[in-house]
Amino acid sequence: MKLQRILQQSFKSLAQPLLAVLIGILTGALAISFIGESVWDTYKVMWNGAFGSFYFVTATLARATPIIFIGVGLALAFRAGVFNLGAEGQMVLGAVAAALAALFIPGPGIVKILSALAAGILAGGLWALLAAWMEARFKIQLLISTLLLNYVAVLFAGYLVAQPFQDKTGSAALAQTSMLGQAAWLPKLFPGMSLHFGFIMAIICAIILYFILRFTSAGYEVRMLGHNPFFAEYGGINKTKVLFVSMFFSGGIAGLAGTAEVLGSQYRYVEGALTVPGYAWTGLMAALLANSNPLGTAVAAILLAALQTGAMGMERNTEVPLEIASVIQGVLILFISAKFTFNWWNLRKKAGAANGSV
Amino acid sequence: MDLFDYSLFISAIRMVSPILLAALGGALCARVGIFNVGLEGLILAGAFSAIVGNHYSGSVFVAVLSGAAGAVLVSLLFGIVTIKFKANAIVAGIAVNFLVLGLTTFLLRALFDVKGAYYDKNMEGLPKWDIPLIEHIPVIGKLISGHSPLVYIAFLAAILLYVYLYRTVAGFRLLAVGKNLSASKSMGLKVTAIQYGAVLMSGVLCGLAGAQLSLGQVTMFTEGMTAGRGFIALVAMMLGQSHPIGILGSSMLFGLMDALSVRLQGFSVPTQFTAMLPYLITIIAMFFLKDKGSDSQLSGQQSTR
Repeated sequence: MKLQRILQQSFKSLAQPLLAVLIGILTGALAISFIGESVWDTYKVMWNGAFGSFYFVTATLARATPIIFIGVGLALAFRAGVFNLGAEGQMVLGAVAAALAALFIPGPGIVKILSALAAGILAGGLWALLAAWMEARFKIQLLISTLLLNYVAVLFAGYLVAQPFQDKTGSAALAQTSMLGQAAWLPKLFPGMSLHFGFIMAIICAIILYFILRFTSAGYEVRMLGHNPFFAEYGGINKTKVLFVSMFFSGGIAGLAGTAEVLGSQYRYVEGALTVPGYAWTGLMAALLANSNPLGTAVAAILLAALQTGAMGMERNTEVPLEIASVIQGVLILFISAKFTFNWWNLRKKAGAANGSV
Repeated sequence: MDLFDYSLFISAIRMVSPILLAALGGALCARVGIFNVGLEGLILAGAFSAIVGNHYSGSVFVAVLSGAAGAVLVSLLFGIVTIKFKANAIVAGIAVNFLVLGLTTFLLRALFDVKGAYYDKNMEGLPKWDIPLIEHIPVIGKLISGHSPLVYIAFLAAILLYVYLYRTVAGFRLLAVGKNLSASKSMGLKVTAIQYGAVLMSGVLCGLAGAQLSLGQVTMFTEGMTAGRGFIALVAMMLGQSHPIGILGSSMLFGLMDALSVRLQGFSVPTQFTAMLPYLITIIAMFFLKDKGSDSQLSGQQSTR
């Protein structure tokens, strides 16, 4: 009996994501056939682009790295019932702070890396804390303030690398900092592949957060606040403290996303390198897909990254444009967010039964 | 080159209209308790379908209509998902933005076989209307006259929306839905129909905003040509407290800043700071505004589950 109930429950929780994935794939198929390509072949090329060889797998994981960080950080905030929409700004500020720390703090490589990590976490965390403070002190909705602060952060970072800290050595005046010294680079996991140590950090981050949320009293407080803020307050949980702590770490982890990209992949802060690929929004989607479970978020982040790298492979080899990935992604998230689980179906049936008609 | 001159204000008025139209659409949604983050996507859908309509019909009027229709279709999808299937409006809005950005770029390749931008010199843009008497008034004449019809529609829409919301029974009902959904339901208001109406109307307004973008100045469509205007509109809506006249003011302010930051590129002022101003002003204003958005259904921590 118990097994049956567990099976039923897991089916229920899985049915919706599976249905959404199915609709997403169908939409993609529709778009592919609209352009007159073979659906099966195109999807095969897409699969190969994401997982076809060891090289592509590592490329997918490398792309997933910032998305995992962002998603895990947001999952923490969401679990506390805080709708942090400011991951983009927190990530960008973390990235630029990390780049500057690695450039200007003297010392051997390890000191540079550690201070860059600290600077990244601090910059992202404090930026998120600002929004939390405005919410707690002035009742300015965090949802709105984080969204607004994104633009301020991205533009400010853009100013920093376009004016005072611009790389003046190159011939083209690009908006970027100078290249970091090689000692401050995060090591690559495999020679010749883009996957770097940041990926391991992201996975560790997800695992730690999973255990904190699941097994510690602090995690319990966070979850309680998210589930039922009134009960949490009644139970003696300091709402403001939990809000501050969860926002600081949520932003700090988003800052780490930027830091890892700077130290592991670009070796400098380049304007637009973090915002144009839409890491922050994709990370948000990953957290939502996984219902804010940190481990699930990591998996969802890898899947979304695979969708994107797969689409890149597809664009190289077929006539189908890359943007099909964002179409599929949009449809996917639209149908996952819709609460038309079988609950809705059951409700209608129940309502029908109550009225005496079936 | 002067910092403030005529052409600055003229271009400001031109830049106001897409922001104003979309912000009014967003306000309608906010007034029925739906926070519409998808404005960006709706405008982009409008801009693209306006160009498609223009390409296939050759008529500007049909182009504007199809621009509105394209955005309405997308807003219908948004409405179904948020109203009927109770999806979190913010998540759905973000999904709409992704979806439309992908879809328009995809269709650009599929329909016109181009990447990046579509431009056809035979396509006719929006006409410029010279208003008979006013155009001869010395100073104001040049400022007010000679814009595209959609610019006038934008300003008219703000006034009409004000009259509708605060001077008609239907408008009061709409406001009631946003104030308290269950109370309005128990009073026998057709809550769902009112919500759908607001969302679809925001689609129309965003569609017109998009048409002004793609047909107003240069007749062309470029990938992601909204460039964050939907979010600026969202911010204008917040600063304007979802009140049509407030939005009119905040949109004019942002339009002026938009024009100013283009102008400042000629000076040695970092444009990042001028671009930052709308957001900073809105954040600062939120410290002083009475209604911090907590009055409506948007309030309460938005749980994701």
